[in-house]
Amino acid sequence: MSNFFQEYFDAKIFFIAIALVIIGLVSVYSATYDAGATATFYKQTMWAIVGFVALITAALVPMKTIQRIALPSYAAIVGMLVMLLLIGKTISGSQSWFGIGGFGIQPSEFAKVTAILTLAVFLSKSTTDISRLKDLLIAFGIVAIPMVLILAQPDLGTAVVFFGMALPILYWAGASNFVLAVIIAPILVAAGALFGTTIFLISVAISSVMLYLARENRFTAVVAFGLTLFIGVSVQTIYERMPAYQQKRIMTFINPEADPQGAGYNVLQSKVAIGSGGLLGKGYLRGTQTQLNFIPEQWTDFIFCVPGEEFGFVGASLVLILFASLLIRGINIASLSKNKFGSTVAIGITAVLALHTFVNIGMSMGLMPVIGIPLPFLSYGGSALLANMTMAGLLMNVYAHRKEY
Amino acid sequence: MEDFGSPIRRSVLMILTVVFIGVLFVRLYVLQLLYHQELGKKSEENSVRTIIKEPIRGYVFDRAGRLVVDVGPSYSVALTPVEFDAQNLKLLSSLLQLEPDVIQERINRGRAYSRFSPTRIKRDIDFRTLSALEEYQFLLPGISFLIDSKRIYPTGSRATHILGYCKEISDAQLARASDYYRQGDVIGSSGIEASYENLLRGQKGFEFIAVNARGQVIGRFEQGQNDKLPNEGFDLILGIDFELQAFAESLMANYRGAIVAVDPNDGSILAMVSKPDFDPAIFSGVTPPEIWSALNLDTTKPLFNRATMTNYPPGSTYKMVLAAAALEEGVIDEQYKITCFGSYRFGNRVFKDLGVHGSVNIVQAIQRSCNVFFYQLIHKVGFQRWTEYGKKFGFGRRTGIDITEENSGLLPSADYFDRVYGKGKWTQGYLVSLAIGQGELGVSPLQMAMYVAALANGGSLHQPHAVNFIRNKLTNRVERIDYSSQPVGLSDRTIELIREGMMRVVEAPGGTASLARIPEIVSAGKTGTAQNPHGLDHAWYVGFAPFEKPTIAVAVMLENAGFGGSKAAPIAGLVIEKYIKGKVERRFYAPKPKQAPSDTTTRVTHLQPN
Repeated sequence: MSNFFQEYFDAKIFFIAIALVIIGLVSVYSATYDAGATATFYKQTMWAIVGFVALITAALVPMKTIQRIALPSYAAIVGMLVMLLLIGKTISGSQSWFGIGGFGIQPSEFAKVTAILTLAVFLSKSTTDISRLKDLLIAFGIVAIPMVLILAQPDLGTAVVFFGMALPILYWAGASNFVLAVIIAPILVAAGALFGTTIFLISVAISSVMLYLARENRFTAVVAFGLTLFIGVSVQTIYERMPAYQQKRIMTFINPEADPQGAGYNVLQSKVAIGSGGLLGKGYLRGTQTQLNFIPEQWTDFIFCVPGEEFGFVGASLVLILFASLLIRGINIASLSKNKFGSTVAIGITAVLALHTFVNIGMSMGLMPVIGIPLPFLSYGGSALLANMTMAGLLMNVYAHRKEY
Repeated sequence: MEDFGSPIRRSVLMILTVVFIGVLFVRLYVLQLLYHQELGKKSEENSVRTIIKEPIRGYVFDRAGRLVVDVGPSYSVALTPVEFDAQNLKLLSSLLQLEPDVIQERINRGRAYSRFSPTRIKRDIDFRTLSALEEYQFLLPGISFLIDSKRIYPTGSRATHILGYCKEISDAQLARASDYYRQGDVIGSSGIEASYENLLRGQKGFEFIAVNARGQVIGRFEQGQNDKLPNEGFDLILGIDFELQAFAESLMANYRGAIVAVDPNDGSILAMVSKPDFDPAIFSGVTPPEIWSALNLDTTKPLFNRATMTNYPPGSTYKMVLAAAALEEGVIDEQYKITCFGSYRFGNRVFKDLGVHGSVNIVQAIQRSCNVFFYQLIHKVGFQRWTEYGKKFGFGRRTGIDITEENSGLLPSADYFDRVYGKGKWTQGYLVSLAIGQGELGVSPLQMAMYVAALANGGSLHQPHAVNFIRNKLTNRVERIDYSSQPVGLSDRTIELIREGMMRVVEAPGGTASLARIPEIVSAGKTGTAQNPHGLDHAWYVGFAPFEKPTIAVAVMLENAGFGGSKAAPIAGLVIEKYIKGKVERRFYAPKPKQAPSDTTTRVTHLQPN
């Protein structure tokens, strides 16, 4: 029995996921304790129970079934995203919800899962060769379709995650260094263009070194460099011709602390909350920043402040260690898996979880721009929790079937 | 496709993950352990408001236990910057009758301290303003009322310069003062209110309340365990007799000058009058700037404490210093006599006397204030010893009275003249004037009172003081304050002879102060008339009584009043009689206060609130 368990049950993912969900519930309870939003906590508890069922199901469903339903569910989700733009209900300025009874469903959360699965199906086909431009474009297309629809809601954060997860998947699947360099270099240069000439020149230098080292032939490298430079200069030119208020909006996005009463308010209060927690924290339900609602809607995107403020460095470190273990385990599962589909799924899921973790926690501590993406397992939000627990279940599934070719 | 999931790619992804998590760890460490204090303070500022609880300022009682400085309630308007809507500035301005600029300035300064705690906008508002504000309060978020205390003076007398006054702390005071004070606080600014500020003010209390992000009060912060009740200020018990003080003030109604009456046995002040003065109650609430500038610009200087800060020559009242030096140093004895022909020639100058006194000894010289006797004597005693004895009696330095407004006066020495005029540029002729207390010699009425008190008590120079006891509100005990005293260093015989002379000044025929006589009480004294190059002479009188066992010593100085014997002596006599007998039975001239409309004192009285 214990051998069977070791063979087919990945205890690490299971217990880490459960631990994070419990920490999440504890945090949501604290964040909504005095804000008159305890209904939020009960809803989240219900979603956690539903999510637990989803996790077990995702872990047990045969791999073939998953491969078979990947494309139809992808198509269904894309259809829902299209419908959303027409009839969805608006929450905080973006149309990302379906209302079903008292609950809202956010298709974009499930779109990540289906996109990963579909991409994995495509990349694991024996006829697919990622070094061919056509196949590369198809792979991008699978990600780009839901991404564009989500961007139109508009939900910038989730769209960024879609783009961001595609890179590690393609990398894992064997895309050449040159392809990656061609994708990354323009982004780097475009970002550098917003920070003045010095940073711009540095970003150009790094990009050219990257392209040079990854070059396959001189011609493509020069073309790619020319394109990169063109994008960078265009961004700079556009930025300089923008009206001042738009420039300011971009600058506060990059550096929210420049506007402490507006965009920077959340970040400032969040930093204060985390910093004031100190080594051991202020004690559960005793964090003044949390309990006195200094961080608006804290139970969603700024949930990391709760362990930070109430349990201090010790509590926040525990959360970081759990996430680190989860991600490392995810990469290991991808390595252990002998079939390409499972391996790609594992790396895709790990990439999504990693992006959410880095961006969300980084944002709470003032390291990242404020783009609204939730912290996996902890943030309030039924769809996200359900999707995340499903992904944890899928990781366990990949582990269980790791030896099948 | 051969690169699929290669070990290198696995390592790259692993390293990226570890690096990113590592960056988050470092950031967590920086925020929670390195910047913990700073951010912790910010979070406290966010959610904790401090309400300052003002202590009740100490009361002041007089020698007989009468309450002379009381405390009453006063309402202030306070504003919490974070809650106040700038659009309401105009409404607030019209309700308070205060310029919007002035209000804005106060809000800004309050904000600089803390935008979460209330700052005073206007102090001591009247009842009409209070009720109007209460009516509009729902339109004015951030406006609250604070109950402060203000000084009330229940007695008829003013005692302006000794009691002093409190007023709202100025920017200059705020810069100098300890962290204890905040803009809008009241601070003792003169007299005992200033010198006993630390005892009188008490200690502020604090109440901490928790507020949410919208500034609404949720309750007490940590169940009020950090709250601190204010400590009441300590009470002061003065040596001043306010019945005597009131009487002395009434005698001075038409004079510019000062009276200082002290108990010669311990140096406690019984009465101190400086005229012109003003009603200290005008400072108890808000002081309108026009009153403050009127007081400051008044040419009669009502803010100036003439009892302790004037610097006039003492005239003949100073002769006892020279007499003491001569007797004590053995330069002369009690038999030593000179013959006075009414004038004295020194070099080619003739110094006049007021009469022809014939053959006089030291006692008679004091009694009749014979100038010629002292003109001759100064050359025998010499400049150095004359200065030295002046020092022994406390001249040329501060007396150490327990109020800060005091000058040291001027006691010249040979060194001093060398410095001012240059070596050899001044002559012994300067000394002749000093012999009779004229010329470059400056004293205050307080110094004179302590000098005569030393002669009265047999040779002890006490530190004068207004406050005898304090009531410690923490222990609720009355504590005596210790003051210093030092012997002048005169033999009994010397003092006896000088006292004899001073007694004859009042009681004997031919004495210069017969107008100071008091029925049934033997007193002693000395008159003085200080020459004043700028106008009429200043009149002086110093005296003590009863002669055998003195209980009061008095110095009276009247600016530009003429002869000491005719103007100052009768006033001193009345003060002494009032103190010893409790009342004055004989008929005397009681001056009616002049009602000159140009007099600031009167104008200020009319302007004072209520």
